[in-house]
Formats: sequence, C-alpha cells, structure tokens
Amino acid sequence: MSKNTSLGAALMLFALETNAGPMGFKDSWMIMGDFSPNWREAFINYALTPLDALGVSATYMRSDDETKTRQLGEITYTRLLKRWNMPDAQANLWFAGGVGIINGDDFDGAKAMVTPGIQFDYETRRIYFAVTERLYRAKDLNHDYSSGRAGFSFYETSFEETQPWFILEARRMNGLSDKTEITPMLRLINQNYFIEAGVNNSSQFRFNFMYIF
Amino acid sequence: MKKYLSLIALILTISLSSFSNSAFAVTSIRAEVKGMVCAFCAKGISKKLNALSQSKEVFVDLKNRVVAVELKDQQTLTLDNFNKIIQDAGYDVAKAEFVEKSVAEIKAELTVAETKK
Repeated sequence: MSKNTSLGAALMLFALETNAGPMGFKDSWMIMGDFSPNWREAFINYALTPLDALGVSATYMRSDDETKTRQLGEITYTRLLKRWNMPDAQANLWFAGGVGIINGDDFDGAKAMVTPGIQFDYETRRIYFAVTERLYRAKDLNHDYSSGRAGFSFYETSFEETQPWFILEARRMNGLSDKTEITPMLRLINQNYFIEAGVNNSSQFRFNFMYIF
Repeated sequence: MKKYLSLIALILTISLSSFSNSAFAVTSIRAEVKGMVCAFCAKGISKKLNALSQSKEVFVDLKNRVVAVELKDQQTLTLDNFNKIIQDAGYDVAKAEFVEKSVAEIKAELTVAETKK
C-alpha cells in the first residue's frame, strides 16, 4: 500500500462523527473517540439548541509506513438542517463542518483547513442508511470525501436493552487514496453509549464510541 | 328529620369519597411520539423528563412509540411544557393526554396489547 493510500484511508476516518449522529439533544455534551492504528481522535461538542452544536476536535493521523503524520485541531459547528420524524422512522439532513489548523511532516508549516459537509441519514428500529459528502480543503490540499453506510439490527429491543447492529461502510478520499475502504462493523447501541468495532479491507482494526451526557 | 339527616350524611360521604379519589389519583401524561427509533438518540427524552421536579417515573417504549411520565402527588405539568421537552429532544408528539394511571399500569397495558398481537 502506498503512503498516500494509507494516509488517505486514515483521513477518511476523520469524518466519522458525521456518520454516527453528529450531536445530541439540547444542552447535552457529546464525546466521541475514534481509534485505529493510523487514527486517534478525540471530539466533543455541546448542543446549544436542538439544532446547533459547537465543539472542538483533536486528531492524530499516520500513514501505514509511519513516515507521514498529520495533526489537526479544529473548531466544529453542526447544524440540523431538517429532520423528518415519522411514526416508525427518522430522517435527517445535517451540516457539519469545521475550521482548524493542520500540520504535517510532508509539508512545511501549518495550514488553515476548512471542512464543510452534509449528511443525509434514514433510520428505523431495524435498518440504517447514511450518505456523507464533505470537503477537506487547505492550501494545496484537497481531501474531499464521500461515504455510504447501510446496516440492519439483529432484533428489536426495548429502551433499556442493548441493540446489536451490523453496519457496512464504504468511503473514499479524493487526492490521497484511490482505494475504497470497506469496513464491516458490529454496532452496539444502548441508551448510554454507542460503540462500533470492525476490521477494514486493509486488515486494520477500528473502534469507535460516543457518549452523551 | 332522621330521614333527612341520613340523606345528608350519605351525600357528604359520597362527596368526600369522590374528592378523596380525585386528590390522590395517580396522574400521568401518556404520549405517542414520532421518530423515536433508537435508545441512544432518545436518551434526551428520559433524561429531561426525569430531571423535572414533578416527575415520579418515566417510561420510554420504542416499539410502541410511547412516552409516559407519572407525576408526583399534587404536582402538575402542562401538555405544552411536556411537548416542548419532547421537541427539544428532537422528536414530535403525535398525541399527548393526561391519564389516571401509573407508569406501571401503562406498561402493563402495553404488555397485554403486545401479547394479543
């Protein structure tokens, strides 16, 4: 795998928060962690209103051969543009973006980066579907990203029980990787936490979690 | 005279009895909520309702789309306030009403309805 491919795969993970519900309910904090060999991220935001959240994220990225690393610090803004609440389903259209500084050992100095993006998701108690498009732009950097997720729950649960899901994700990052990353994951949802674990088609282990309080 | 006194006593007894029942009856708000498909996402509903000083017990049923909050004795909560809490949590109320039932009774009703399906 080339350095660029590895780094691209890592950078694709950068937009995870837009795939898993980017904010909680009004006056809540959301903490998110994303861990893999080439990716370590901590993210937190606060829902100022039912529709808006502000946050910060810190991310470390590394290529497979460990010759390239990048660090990104970012202030993020999330907006629920539209929500459709149906009797047995919910659909959402989100804006999620950020402004920050990215450093890397394959270029000099720090660069300002902007990351505007949108997501549409649809979910019932048994199926889940989401598509995301997000720009990652800095001077001489273009890592625009696309992803799709689909999955199903193994069975219905009550509010107090933990529900297991199977999720399959495919995503690509422009300019850094020609490879589509495919990751089957087991997702566990409880009223207190949300975790996902899987192995992608580069045999890399992934673990993600979210917690709202 | 004795007959009239007996009648007055009976009326008073019935009146006091019905007053007593209404004063100490269990009151809950039972609502049908749209969009409630995920426990992690719906946590905001239970957290906000449990935080109310009027709240004695809260119940969320994803499958039946039901949210219920049992109020403490002598406590009130308007349907407008209840609806706003649900909306701030990101959901829409299809129908909400006061019922003279406890959360335990509402749960039992839903369980019975489930078993009949």
